[in-house]
Amino acid sequence: MVEERNNGGKGWVGASLPRKEEDRLLRGRGKFAEDIKLREMLYLRFVRSPYAHARILSIDASAAEALPGVACVITGKEIAAETQPFIEIGPDHAQKIRDFPMAVDKAIYQGEPVAAVVAESPGIAEDAAEMVNVEYEALEPVVEAEEALTDRSVLHEAAGTNRVWNGVWEYGDVEQAFKDAAYVVNIDRLHFHRFSSTPLENNVIIGEWNPKDDRIYYGCNNSFPSFAIQFLAAHLKVHIDKIRVQTFDIGGSFGIKITSYPQMAVCALASKKAGGRPVKWVETRSEHMVASAHGNERTFRNTRVALDKNGVITAIDSKHIDDCGAYPRYEPLGCVIWSQVFCGVYRFKNARIDFWQAVTNKCPVGPNRGYSRMQHLWFLERVIDICAHEIGIAADEIRLRNYIRPEEFPYTTPNGCVYDSGNYPKMLEVAKGLIGWDEWRKKQIDAQHEGRMIGIGIGTTLDSGTNNFGQSQIINPYAPFSGNSQGANCKLDIYGEVVVAVGSCPQGQGHETTAAQVVADVLNIHPDLITVRTGFDTERNVHTGMSGTYASQFAVSGLSAVHGAAQKLKTEMKRLAAFLLETNEDELAFGVGEQGPEIKANATGKSINYWGLANIVNVNSAVLPESLYDVTLNCRYVWRAPFKVPDTKAKYGSLTLTYASQLHIAVVEVDRETFVPKIIDYVAVDDCGTVINPPIVEGQVYGATAHGIGAALMETCVYDEVGNMLTSTFSDYTPITSMNIPKIKYGHTSTPSPHSYSGAKGMGEGGAAPIHTISSALQDALFAHGIVINDSFNNADSIFRALKAHDGGQRAELVKLERKQASSAK
Amino acid sequence: MYPRPFFYHRASSLQEAVTMLSQLGTDAKFLAGGQSLIPLLKLRFANPKHLVDLSFIKNTSFIAENQNAIRFGAMTRHAEIEHSALAQKIPVLHDCAAGIADVQIRNRGTIGGSLAEADPSGDWANALITLDTTVHCLGKNGERSLPLKDFVTDAYTTALAHDELVKEIEVKIPPHGSGGAYIAFKRSAPVYPSASVAVQLTVQDSVCKEAAIALGCVGLTSIRAGEAEASLRGKSLNEKVIETASEAARAAADPQSDMRGSADYKRQLVVALVKRAIQIAMRRARGERVEGSHLYA
Ligand SMILES: Cc1cc2nc3c(=O)[nH]c(=O)nc-3n(C[C@H](O)[C@H](O)[C@H](O)COP(=O)(O)OP(=O)(O)OC[C@H]3O[C@@H](n4cnc5c(N)ncnc54)[C@H](O)[C@@H]3O)c2cc1C
Repeated sequence: MVEERNNGGKGWVGASLPRKEEDRLLRGRGKFAEDIKLREMLYLRFVRSPYAHARILSIDASAAEALPGVACVITGKEIAAETQPFIEIGPDHAQKIRDFPMAVDKAIYQGEPVAAVVAESPGIAEDAAEMVNVEYEALEPVVEAEEALTDRSVLHEAAGTNRVWNGVWEYGDVEQAFKDAAYVVNIDRLHFHRFSSTPLENNVIIGEWNPKDDRIYYGCNNSFPSFAIQFLAAHLKVHIDKIRVQTFDIGGSFGIKITSYPQMAVCALASKKAGGRPVKWVETRSEHMVASAHGNERTFRNTRVALDKNGVITAIDSKHIDDCGAYPRYEPLGCVIWSQVFCGVYRFKNARIDFWQAVTNKCPVGPNRGYSRMQHLWFLERVIDICAHEIGIAADEIRLRNYIRPEEFPYTTPNGCVYDSGNYPKMLEVAKGLIGWDEWRKKQIDAQHEGRMIGIGIGTTLDSGTNNFGQSQIINPYAPFSGNSQGANCKLDIYGEVVVAVGSCPQGQGHETTAAQVVADVLNIHPDLITVRTGFDTERNVHTGMSGTYASQFAVSGLSAVHGAAQKLKTEMKRLAAFLLETNEDELAFGVGEQGPEIKANATGKSINYWGLANIVNVNSAVLPESLYDVTLNCRYVWRAPFKVPDTKAKYGSLTLTYASQLHIAVVEVDRETFVPKIIDYVAVDDCGTVINPPIVEGQVYGATAHGIGAALMETCVYDEVGNMLTSTFSDYTPITSMNIPKIKYGHTSTPSPHSYSGAKGMGEGGAAPIHTISSALQDALFAHGIVINDSFNNADSIFRALKAHDGGQRAELVKLERKQASSAK
Repeated sequence: MYPRPFFYHRASSLQEAVTMLSQLGTDAKFLAGGQSLIPLLKLRFANPKHLVDLSFIKNTSFIAENQNAIRFGAMTRHAEIEHSALAQKIPVLHDCAAGIADVQIRNRGTIGGSLAEADPSGDWANALITLDTTVHCLGKNGERSLPLKDFVTDAYTTALAHDELVKEIEVKIPPHGSGGAYIAFKRSAPVYPSASVAVQLTVQDSVCKEAAIALGCVGLTSIRAGEAEASLRGKSLNEKVIETASEAARAAADPQSDMRGSADYKRQLVVALVKRAIQIAMRRARGERVEGSHLYA
């Protein structure tokens, strides 16, 4: 249990405050979308394609429709006839991809919905779904992005190619840097695996298309509703104001629930077909595993790294191929989002990244925790470790030589991003201290003499938050998005209660608590006196087009909006109080008196409580002078990030506002008999600038660390060569459990951000530090056996096979080191 | 998530359950803890028309000692065995029960259901095969008793008739000087093991007199590693002898590649587990108290 502590600060921001939502959530009293029951509700069940790639020859739903209790069956063809395909973000040929919420002529991933049955109970819906007869003609599947790019079998015939997007990022003088290099390291292939986040609560959607007023209601757990309604309004051909979205408590999203808008469309269309009765869809775990969204898989080919004689990287040249599954949906935004962290934590100036993205016959991807940046950061950490081992420099030392230096902040990256603040050497020092680096190095050497395999690895990573949507224009110059904004509302209600509403939909991030802390400081009252309404509701009229909970930004965008709204309210309250207490606005004190929260005149000691203020504005307004008629005590504020549209040709500009950083160190021992990689010591050091609520931040760090360890060692989405997903249950996917999480030592440094009002940086995604760190530690353990870690997923089996299959290791096939004596003499 | 419709029946005695099953025919099934059957129903992989629930029958859940043997009622939950002081007399029982899946599953799942299911990756059949285990069954024609090795006949297949049930499981307490261990390797708690090994050794003056080694999850049923057993008999158990036995076990295993591991890796696991299990069994044979535990990735 967290105890209330102010941690030596002046106000509530920075205090250790137990979460306001804790009691409700931990006692099982939360209210989730599945808890919502509407009158005459129907239940939806999808009929899904068993094939990864197949033409739909016919659908016979007559038996299903005849089953008592079935309201209707709806097919992809019917939907295509009355809707527009979803918006495509990609340019040119990618605009020709026709994405409907169910397969129309062919299914292009296993589990793609082809029809939906709507019935009086979930059981009847499932019985009827079994009776829908679909005839398929199997087509050739492509499950590998590199192979997909050959266009041997094309998924989207209208687009004519499986390539979604490609573009080159090039800065500095790459060729000259290679000419001048002392060392050149060539790495043939690195691979970042496909995994997901398995939130406790699956997708849940209630859709109701009311024929009386032609309005659509959604009760759901989508985590970026303002994005979803923009896609839905265009697709359903309705005025966006006709769509109401409401969210409730959400049992985790990690970005995976951003792309539930296709299922939202089906629920509304099914409701319409069923005469306007509300339709509920509760996703099963197997459906979630096969057909919700997975994280992006990425392959890094033909990487060349130039280094000087001290092991300082001077240039990187590489080709990156991203696999976005069957439909782009949120993609190809991932094709640019990685470039928020173009150079990672390192100083190199010359680089060329040739970036490609392809569709494959697999589940579409969604913006999974660490989205697009973690793949790139893992790549850079692999580059650093491989170079370190090849040249013979220690992992900590090569990082120190390459890190951006503390005095260089704010640091402009080669592509124009501005890293607000940071101190990576300091984090390394703290982490090394916590883990006992020198002792571990000694123990490692002793262990090696006994033939044991112990490795120590470092991962340094970034969590870039509050993105500039203008980066979408680097992908597609016609994309109508830029900047970033969030809305909040702060009011004194009729009886003087302070109520805050935010356009976010938290999934355990503690927004109720941190928003209250911010307002408490503005009004100088206890956070318990403030009610915070979270959960998205279009009808609160708080949101902007970018509202939601995603991409590590609430501390900056959300709380800046809350802060702005509270300031606005405070200004109004001052004007009112100055009039009522007959004093000047700057001679008032905010605080709590005998009659609750109040404002007091310094000179006279007279005070007015919040009820008194609200009373005059709302129900006693004859007292109000005309000069105060503009006071509403109901203040909406929209915070905007100070961004410009990037230079889309040069691919140059500021893409994110804050850069939280994480430095993890792991000590891993590979068992000589079971080959199990066991984490025997682990440190996570986090820097997210000014900390608003330390236990919430610590909780996010533990969560992200557990997620990352799961991804590194246990969780991988496996497809066979014809596109069958082999990990559709938890027994096969094995998400991490508490028994698999080692004791984590937590450390903390703070470099306040100059880019946010409080000095806070967005955090929560965590930059996938454990994936980088465990790859690093495993390579350290196995390098002596000729093994270079070239995949982000490693388990006992893969380590066993790598050690057995390659006599002397696969390093020789994967990595080539060129030493250029002449230039190193320079 | 929703099974096909079925009728639910509650039996008040084992005899009644048997009668119900013979009358309802082959579309009927017994329901014990439901931890194998319910997941199959909800995925619609199994679609019985009738379930006859054994959970409300009295005196089917017990652990009792009787003439050098421990007897378990078929409905005894894994968790009851895990926490039983009596079952500690045979350490293998505790090793096995405490490592099955997670707390919820151990609270529901039964030893009888596990043997009747005969899942090639199930723990009980493999743990008990190295001991003197008898399965007491009840059918239309009364009771019969089968040694465990004759009870499980193939993957998911037992000697039970359709309307015959497991009533009791009887395990002989091994003699003084005999020690055993059961170790399974699992990727995480709630999943079945990738490989499991049971070892029972009788040691006299540090020479191995008797040895039984069984391998689980690496064949259609539990595999007795005969050559490995033979390689231990009459030997003093040093590192080299153990190495030889574990290599013989590698050869005896017949695994399939799947999400729990590649076939080669499972063979390697067998080697590792046999070594560890022999070490623990040796110490227990000497009378030491050793906490056994499954290995988790
Ligand atoms: C997520 C998960 C993980 C698991 N992991 C493991 C594991 O690691 N190791 C392991 O060993 N098990 C594991 N199990 C299975 C668990 O141990 C089951 O409890 C056990 O396999 C079956 O016992 P039950 O009582 O639940 O039987 P039920 O599921 O009720 O029945 C199983 C079958 O046996 C029949 N049956 C049941 N009782 C009798 C009887 N007395 N006579 C005749 N037939 C009978 C039923 O008709 C049915 O066909 C796991 C289960 C789950 C859900």
